[in-house]
Amino acid sequence: MRARRMAVTTVIALVLASIPLATSAVHALPTASPAAADPAPASQVPYTRPVDMAPDEEAIGEGYVTPEVQRPLPRSVWWQIFDLALLAAALGGAAWIVLSRRSRAAALALTVGCLAYFGFFREGCVCPIGSIQNVTTAIVDPNYAVPVYVIATFILPLAAALLFGRVFCSGVCALGAIQELVLLKPIEVPRRLDRFLASFRWIYLAVAIGFVILPAASRDFVICRFDPFVGFFRFTGTFHMLFLGGAFLVLGIFVGRPYCRYLCPYGALLSAFSRYAWKSVSITPDRELDCGLCSKACPYGAIEEMRAVRTSCLSCARCYGSCPVHRPAEPAGAQPRGSAAA
Amino acid sequence: MSYRLDRKLAGRGTGESQFRAELRAVACDGERQWYLAGDQELEVLTSDGRLVNRWATGRPGWSVAIDERQRIWVGEPGQIEIFSAQGQLEDTWRSTELFRLVTALAVTPEEVFVADAGSRWIHRFDSDRRLLNHIGDKHRKGGFHIPSGVLDFALDRDATLVVANPGMHRVERYDPDGTSRGHFGRFGQQDPAAFPGCCNPTNLALGPEGEIVVTEKAGPRLKIYDRDGVLSEVVADSATFDVACKNMDLAVDRDGSIGVIDTIALDLAVFEPKMKPGAISAEGVAP
Amino acid sequence: MSDRYTRRDVLEISARGVALVGLGGLGSLLAVKAHGDDAWWIDPGKCVNSRLGALGVEACQSCATECVLPLSAVRAVNDFASCGRCYICPAYFDIHSAVGPDGLPSKTLCPRDAIKREPIGWIDPDDPANNYYEYTIDESLCNGCGLCVMGCKEPAGLGSIKLEVRHDVCLACNRCSISTACPEDAYERLPTT
Repeated sequence: MRARRMAVTTVIALVLASIPLATSAVHALPTASPAAADPAPASQVPYTRPVDMAPDEEAIGEGYVTPEVQRPLPRSVWWQIFDLALLAAALGGAAWIVLSRRSRAAALALTVGCLAYFGFFREGCVCPIGSIQNVTTAIVDPNYAVPVYVIATFILPLAAALLFGRVFCSGVCALGAIQELVLLKPIEVPRRLDRFLASFRWIYLAVAIGFVILPAASRDFVICRFDPFVGFFRFTGTFHMLFLGGAFLVLGIFVGRPYCRYLCPYGALLSAFSRYAWKSVSITPDRELDCGLCSKACPYGAIEEMRAVRTSCLSCARCYGSCPVHRPAEPAGAQPRGSAAA
Repeated sequence: MSYRLDRKLAGRGTGESQFRAELRAVACDGERQWYLAGDQELEVLTSDGRLVNRWATGRPGWSVAIDERQRIWVGEPGQIEIFSAQGQLEDTWRSTELFRLVTALAVTPEEVFVADAGSRWIHRFDSDRRLLNHIGDKHRKGGFHIPSGVLDFALDRDATLVVANPGMHRVERYDPDGTSRGHFGRFGQQDPAAFPGCCNPTNLALGPEGEIVVTEKAGPRLKIYDRDGVLSEVVADSATFDVACKNMDLAVDRDGSIGVIDTIALDLAVFEPKMKPGAISAEGVAP
Repeated sequence: MSDRYTRRDVLEISARGVALVGLGGLGSLLAVKAHGDDAWWIDPGKCVNSRLGALGVEACQSCATECVLPLSAVRAVNDFASCGRCYICPAYFDIHSAVGPDGLPSKTLCPRDAIKREPIGWIDPDDPANNYYEYTIDESLCNGCGLCVMGCKEPAGLGSIKLEVRHDVCLACNRCSISTACPEDAYERLPTT
């Protein structure tokens, strides 16, 4: 009975979700104008031109020297190595802050720092969320070779999730960080609605992968296209991106991190991986009082039965401060394996 | 006189008189046969397009001329090859400095004039192949302005060279020793008598009465000017030629038929006068 | 209880192991053909402004209008070595405009006046038409609209001006909005190393 209700709900959710996504995607897809008409068949002719017939320096005379054409190179590979090192350090730092140090203040500081660097300084590209598309393209398209650092950007937060839970979401992700900072008056989302909306992440992931496995000419990176916050990071963007971003931020004042919980496709992957995390958030392993203060403090509805739900805990470290018996800065070895959390 | 398009010869394809990839130069002899250089070969066609002979050249041919002994001179990058009337290679004249790209030739019993697009001069040799002088170096450093890549000229009956100078949008006249004898032409896009675009006219030939026949690119056209530089007719435009044509070589036979190469369709468009002319003199034919 | 491994723990540990191995495997699989970095590149053989044969069509201005940056990262670049240095450049001048008293067209083509024209080399004091001219594009003004590229295209010109992505300005967006809008699919991601 319950399984059937869940199936029906899922189907309705899929249908409802697909309508707005599909219509907005199709509507906003660039309609490729028909290729410029070729009035002359010369396009099929290998055109030969006497290539060295441009006047040479001797003909121009008076010591003229042909100027070099400046072709600036893109950023050097050292930047990528640096970025990856910072990403790894931030992930490790988040794990330490949230699991060992357990300090909300430190988590906040990390959030601000990562937002400043990965968000406003690096302007967001290529982020782990978008890297899903690059990795998928590399798998399906033999002509596309993905850069090493994009692979690393895809894998590092997932590996961290396997080890420490969703520490990437803690504050390392720039999109999460910006939503984290505007969360001022969190309201609680009813659990069933929360679960229902969270399934949209998987639908978005499927849609994104669907658009990527199209042939190269019609391939579109929809995660990047509907990225709400990159317009703020670049201080420029199309109207629909800035509007979407603004709407998410306004919503995010009241609903905790709506993009992260209900739309982020990478978050869907992270939640799947963090299910098997080696260590994860546990508030008071041995001495819960059943007071419920921690679940009230959690703005993301990630605490059930006094235990942090690994798959939805965004490692924000707010819960520790609300617990009356929590002792901050537990020695790292005092944590048992996180098997108690659901 | 007035011209109309009569027929198109050769063409793109693998047929016996057709070309596969390139067609660059045309000349005409006293028997109204057309000599076409393209695809690293030379074809001889009768006036109505039947193939008479066809042979390979050593390098891609960029210009063709017929001398008074009916030998065929083919200008190529780095050399000039001279073939007998039956197509036997008689001589190869090499010069890496002077013959970087030979785009026009004229041969008289006493002299040979070679237009080199690489050095942008016309070289004058005597019959023993001694260099006498250059044409184009006295009045300008660096030679003619040919952004289009080919230098074309024709030898008039009174031994004047009529040279197309596309970069300056004019047709110039020179004595064989290089002295300038004036010029006509100016830039203009709307005026049919003016030369449009960046570099026109690209190719030039002389009619039987000394009129100057030119082809232009980028808005391909075939035009005829009289001896004083006054436009007498726009014979054909992009309705006849492919829009992307460039450097369309042309030749006029002794009866005034004009053959123009379409470098994209690889055919020779032959224009016949609506009335036949009386006098005889054409590009490449010794007087 | 805390020292014994329950069945659930074993399942969890093995799932974690499988996931880690899977991640590592995926990473190595992709890294085999990976390279250092890639950047956006415009294929001049596809771009309608520079592609041979597409004649008599309007210049496509997508590169100027679609970039997320206020001034597009695409610029017209003149390859000097293959420029004809013409007196009347069809990319600099609007050759269809009326001819002025100096024999030159009266209007220039660039809507932002980004092309500068200078005589170079030996300068003829009497006849300006006898000189060679250098055409330089001021990159702080050029927005990559491609009008000059279309004007320079063969056979009208020599095709030395092409649109190029300026990598010091380009943000290297994962989804380049110009590449998505390009009607000829001329954008490619090419390795830079």
